[in-house]
Amino acid sequence: MPLILNDLSPLHWAVAGGAIAAVTLCLLFVANRRLGLSTGLEDMCSLVLDQPYFRRDAVASGRGWRLPFLLGLVLGGYLSAVLGGGWHPTWALGMFDTVIGFGPVGKLAWMFGGGLFIGFGTRLANGCTSGHGIFGMSNFEIPSLVATLSFLTSGILTTQLVYRVVFR
Amino acid sequence: MPMAALYVVLGTIFGFVLSRSGAADYNYIQGMFLFERFQLYGIIGTAVVLTAPGLWLIQRRGRTALGAAVHVELKPMNRGTVVGSLLFGIGWSIAGMCPGPILVNIGEGKVYALAALAGALAGAGVFGALYPRLRDTFGLPSIKARQAAIP
Repeated sequence: MPLILNDLSPLHWAVAGGAIAAVTLCLLFVANRRLGLSTGLEDMCSLVLDQPYFRRDAVASGRGWRLPFLLGLVLGGYLSAVLGGGWHPTWALGMFDTVIGFGPVGKLAWMFGGGLFIGFGTRLANGCTSGHGIFGMSNFEIPSLVATLSFLTSGILTTQLVYRVVFR
Repeated sequence: MPMAALYVVLGTIFGFVLSRSGAADYNYIQGMFLFERFQLYGIIGTAVVLTAPGLWLIQRRGRTALGAAVHVELKPMNRGTVVGSLLFGIGWSIAGMCPGPILVNIGEGKVYALAALAGALAGAGVFGALYPRLRDTFGLPSIKARQAAIP
């Protein structure tokens, strides 16, 4: 199945997994940093909020690598579009459009709602797919195994509910 | 600033791969959760299988390429680990994005991803504001302890 982005063919999963491993290992081996992207949400919050939670050392000490890395993520997405058929703003959302079919305002509300769960949940869990799912699991950390099984389970239940029960 | 440049480059490679692999694609995320597509399981599985021996080697060596002592902060286990992850999974399903891919999707030009980012920042902001109250409920470390954990 092609990607939503310009109908491109996806990379093989083994190639993508290998590249993710290479970046993760490079980050630790060269820069002594543990991969973890959701803390970047705190980094961004810490630019404007000043609760003690956003002033703690874990944020202050990691901001210097995470914020440039997050900028790179945006650049990577941009380059992927430019080199793969061109960059243009789009509202296309694949099966959401064919099955659920909300317009732009509905999509923005849907995404904002999803984002709330992502922001609050990853902070409460102290990690996301990268810090728990990739790094933590690779490092045989029990909290990360528990976290990964938990977010996969609730993701599966939510999607099954949305696409097999509510919007069918 | 040369290290900052390295982080931008690593982030760009990471973002490009997420973009082109389906990890930042709504259909592939739903396909994973519907058990209709193997792609995301293959990506995460391969990444873990290859990262694990690398981490072991780097930590056994004990030194980074630049000679610093390797330091890996470990994450705490508490009630928030499960409850927070369950909440995050709901968000991952709804938005079809986890935190990294939100930014990748913005770079790709997917307009609605901006709303996902706004929501994620709001969610993190609310968490930070409520932290003193959530601490006891979920057995989270005190802010001081979290600070002390990272040298």
